[in-house]
Amino acid sequence: MYRTFPYIVLFVLTLIVQVFLLDSLAISIYFAPMIYLAFLLLLPLDTAHVKLLLAGLATGWLMDYTMGTDGLNVIATLPVAFLRPWIIGWFYTREDPREGGIPSEARFGKSKFIRYIAACILLHHLLFFSFEALSWVHLDRTLLRIVTSSAVSVLFIWLTARLFTLKLTARI
Amino acid sequence: MYKLIEFIRSTYVVVLFVLLEAIMIGHYARSTHYARARLLAKATQVVGGSEHALAGIRRYFQLERENRELLAYAASLQERLANYEAAALSDLSVHPFVLHAADTTTVEQPDSLHPKEDGNHRRNIKHRQYRTVPATVISNTINKPENFLVLNRGSRHGVRQEMAVLSSGGAMVGYVVDCTERYAIALSVLSNSFRTSGKLSGTDYAGLIYWDGTDPHIVLMSDLSKYAEPKPGQEVETTTGSLFFPDGIKIGRIIEAHLNETGTTYTARVELTAHLSGLSHVILVENRDLDEIQNLQKSENIKQYIRP
Repeated sequence: MYRTFPYIVLFVLTLIVQVFLLDSLAISIYFAPMIYLAFLLLLPLDTAHVKLLLAGLATGWLMDYTMGTDGLNVIATLPVAFLRPWIIGWFYTREDPREGGIPSEARFGKSKFIRYIAACILLHHLLFFSFEALSWVHLDRTLLRIVTSSAVSVLFIWLTARLFTLKLTARI
Repeated sequence: MYKLIEFIRSTYVVVLFVLLEAIMIGHYARSTHYARARLLAKATQVVGGSEHALAGIRRYFQLERENRELLAYAASLQERLANYEAAALSDLSVHPFVLHAADTTTVEQPDSLHPKEDGNHRRNIKHRQYRTVPATVISNTINKPENFLVLNRGSRHGVRQEMAVLSSGGAMVGYVVDCTERYAIALSVLSNSFRTSGKLSGTDYAGLIYWDGTDPHIVLMSDLSKYAEPKPGQEVETTTGSLFFPDGIKIGRIIEAHLNETGTTYTARVELTAHLSGLSHVILVENRDLDEIQNLQKSENIKQYIRP
């Protein structure tokens, strides 16, 4: 794993931004971006399935610990980690995903890459906010939260991905 | 056997996923907001230091408003004190000196020392039902279904569960749900599980105060009698019926109210007096009688009067 160091930096930085900036901003109930998923979404294409799952477990668990959500983040993050290979399969059929490399705009194409991020984020936010609300009473509000927060999360993660791949090409 | 191993090899990720997900959902389903608060309290001890620094920066920008509120609160307290002293002076049986002496000492004096003269004013001060602890807000959310405040005072500073949390301006904010040695976690009024009673100032019409999870400046007041006729601008305060909050603590002002379909009760939208989005200093208030009252409520003697 020659990219271990950049991934550690990505993991730590997104976590710090998430915990100390986004979580303490608390602007509105409709604005809860989750940038920490960038780590999971940008792991190399050839990452073993079980490693993806464990990475999902680790990020989710750490976020639960810092946000005080008691399992909510793991519930939402695990399926994203588990389904990621299939989600990538939808959008990236040109070559064999197993050949390696990281999911990036250059590799997928801009629109496909954004759709890949959006699919993962929607799945995550759908689970996260539904489990957080745990009722159908405010369904309209929960749906609105999912949509608005997803939009912001996609934007943030897309920016993070651009920064990350920018740094990699400069390094290699 | 080989086939079995091959099968396990091909499906163990799926099994692992289903297993982990099931465990987490089970765990989450059992957790209460108290459990989440406790987790937050633990996490705060880990990330507390750096949150402190951030909170320091936030506090700096809010100093001006905070100062203004504190001044206003000091002024109102002074006014109340003046009224109180005037009342005590007019009551000739209590000498002002006695009043002040009683205020500074917590030692209970036997009533026999002051037979008859023991006016209600003195007894109230001597007993001192409420104890206060000032605290600083380290982190505070307003954008979740259950919102918690992390405060920099814990059991070491005399913070206990179920203490009321008031803004520096003396308005209702929430109550303490858990504390560690150095930190406390309070459930904010902006939580779906927060319930308290409130009444229209100057009347006895009371209703249920709760948050509907949308606007962090607005709470709802339901079950208000149709005779109350709430008007926009009317103040809402806590009632004597609340165990956590002292009587007469400001909650907010009515913005609008409408009768329900059956025309029996009003539901009002109340603008919170406390600015929960920019809270940096709070006052914790303990009701010293809370234990006694709660023990009494649990008393076995009550049961014999309830028909099974």
